[in-house]
Amino acid sequence: MQPPSKTTPFSLPVDSDHKATKFRPFTISPPHMRAFHLAWISLFSCFFSTFAIPPLLPAIRRDLHLTAADVGRAGVASFAGSIFSRLAMGPICDLLGPCAATAAFSLLTAPAVLSASFMSNSTSFIVIRFLIGFSLANFVACQFWMSSMFSNNVVAVANGVAAGWASVGSGFTQLVMPLIYSFLINTVNLSSSTAWRVAFFVPAFFQTVTALMVLAFGQDLPDGKYKRSSNITGQISKENAFTILLNGLKNYRGWILGLTYGFCFGVELTTDNILAQYFYERFNLDIKTAGAIAASFGLANIVSRPAGGLVSDEMGRRFGMRGRLWSLWVVQTAAGLLCFLLGRSNSLWGSVLVVCCFSFFVQAASGLTFGVVPFVSKRSLGVISGMTGSGGTIGAVITQLLLFSGSSGNYMSTQTSISLMGILMVFCTLPLTLLYFPHSGGMFCRPNYPPTHQQHYDHLLQCQ
Amino acid sequence: MAIHQSYVAISLILLSGLVATCYGVPFTSLNKTIGITATPSIPSGQVLKGGESTLTISWSLNATSSVGIDTSDYRTVEIKLCYAPISQKDRGWRRTEEELQKDKTCQHKIVERPYNPSNNMYTATIKKDVPSATYFVRLYVHNSHKEVVAFGDTTDAMKMTNLFEVVAVTGRSIGLDIASVCFSAFSIISLFGFFILEKRRAKTK
Repeated sequence: MQPPSKTTPFSLPVDSDHKATKFRPFTISPPHMRAFHLAWISLFSCFFSTFAIPPLLPAIRRDLHLTAADVGRAGVASFAGSIFSRLAMGPICDLLGPCAATAAFSLLTAPAVLSASFMSNSTSFIVIRFLIGFSLANFVACQFWMSSMFSNNVVAVANGVAAGWASVGSGFTQLVMPLIYSFLINTVNLSSSTAWRVAFFVPAFFQTVTALMVLAFGQDLPDGKYKRSSNITGQISKENAFTILLNGLKNYRGWILGLTYGFCFGVELTTDNILAQYFYERFNLDIKTAGAIAASFGLANIVSRPAGGLVSDEMGRRFGMRGRLWSLWVVQTAAGLLCFLLGRSNSLWGSVLVVCCFSFFVQAASGLTFGVVPFVSKRSLGVISGMTGSGGTIGAVITQLLLFSGSSGNYMSTQTSISLMGILMVFCTLPLTLLYFPHSGGMFCRPNYPPTHQQHYDHLLQCQ
Repeated sequence: MAIHQSYVAISLILLSGLVATCYGVPFTSLNKTIGITATPSIPSGQVLKGGESTLTISWSLNATSSVGIDTSDYRTVEIKLCYAPISQKDRGWRRTEEELQKDKTCQHKIVERPYNPSNNMYTATIKKDVPSATYFVRLYVHNSHKEVVAFGDTTDAMKMTNLFEVVAVTGRSIGLDIASVCFSAFSIISLFGFFILEKRRAKTK
């Protein structure tokens, strides 16, 4: 690694690309740490908005005359919305840069959150959840932004902390939205039907404010705006976009990582959706306690996803890419086994304990995945991030439809479904063994071109 | 043999006593001794409006079905609005359970009154928070220990007759709609405003 430049204006040590080589999450020094905070807060607001509907469902389903099938379909729709948008976000980031892309998605989906106040039947409910789900594309922009700002030795922990802290939004909203709703009913004296509609102004406002902050204070790269900007003629930028997209899609590693991410993050999303109901029905807890357990599953992201990133960087430092891949495989397989165990657990306290361990491992696996993604392709970073990110939500849709939808409830109990999900996780993590990087090897293979020293190693990693 | 039989009898009585005092009283243990009718304030075939329409409920002890049943312990009656099967379909949060503690059929309380064998009448206005659904009315009789001991339904055993439909008040209002539209417009305009500003800045540079 080149020694930090002495004439640099940056407050953090940087490498030759001016990416920070140290990660200090409790500072706001521009441009690196300021970018980090803007990225995770704006993504937090998107998670907050997308998962704002589930805690208010008892009030919403009363008003809109919803059936359990409608609620399930809407849940799948919200994930489906994010699948397409995450795939699109990849090339958009490569073209416009992460700042503009994040702000655009946030500001364009805020009206969808506000339209929740217009909902009057099950169709509008499903459509609006689909549209709000688009905002989760900001996850791809966030990871892209972190990979542009932070050097290889801290990129996984930067990605992990940003995504982890942002994912807390999904748990936080389960606690806050009911509070806002109660406040509107008890203090402002609105009827239940009006109160939940008004409550959605809060996530919409939050999302808009964070997007405007990103536009005002954020920058794409340590040196300023994104290079591939509008000063290139339209013709060239179109060719670039298409080549970048193809380059990303042809890379088999993107597909494998998409699959494995589908069975760590996807499983996490599905569990967010079914956990409260599972504890409520199986162990006869009251809805608030069951909701608190489900919320704590999401809140564990504060530490577990960053921990995954830390482990990835540490293993990368000691053993290179092989270390990153092995640690990802071990952690995700452990998560799968814990998920299997959760379905077999018959006692309440046993289940709570297993849920705690399961949440830690499955979220750490997500952090570890994005310790590998930045190394797949530098040119098509956005596309690969988009493929992996969409894979996550595709996994959520598949597990939810296969195992936890209305029709599957006729064949097997929820605990059997949970155990099956664990088994699926273990099997779908095996493709990681197929990943091979020519300059750094794979889980079982040596690199074709072993690095002679660290500088050569870093240079080769960036060549793809 | 006689001792055996008496043990069995005692344990059966104790068990039934336990069942009655247990928190989870099964619905099938209740006697249907009350006859109850509920007349909506609007002609049949029309829907009741939440917050406006009224139901006139009258109830009394049914002489034929209460033969041989001890009604001396009846103290209070509780009348509730209950979901008809069509409104329970595919809605697990309204399902009927055997154990009354877990049963979610009757979620809306209308009134609670002291028990009187005959000449009871009450006019109830459908509350604003009652959701749109199809309903019937059920009456539960409590004894001096606040346990449920008997009931009465306005509908038959299959819950198919004498049902009425309620349409709830919607929470949407013009003010809310306008606020949503304005906010959305602000959000989109600010996005394009920023982009235009960026382009202008790039041009002047």
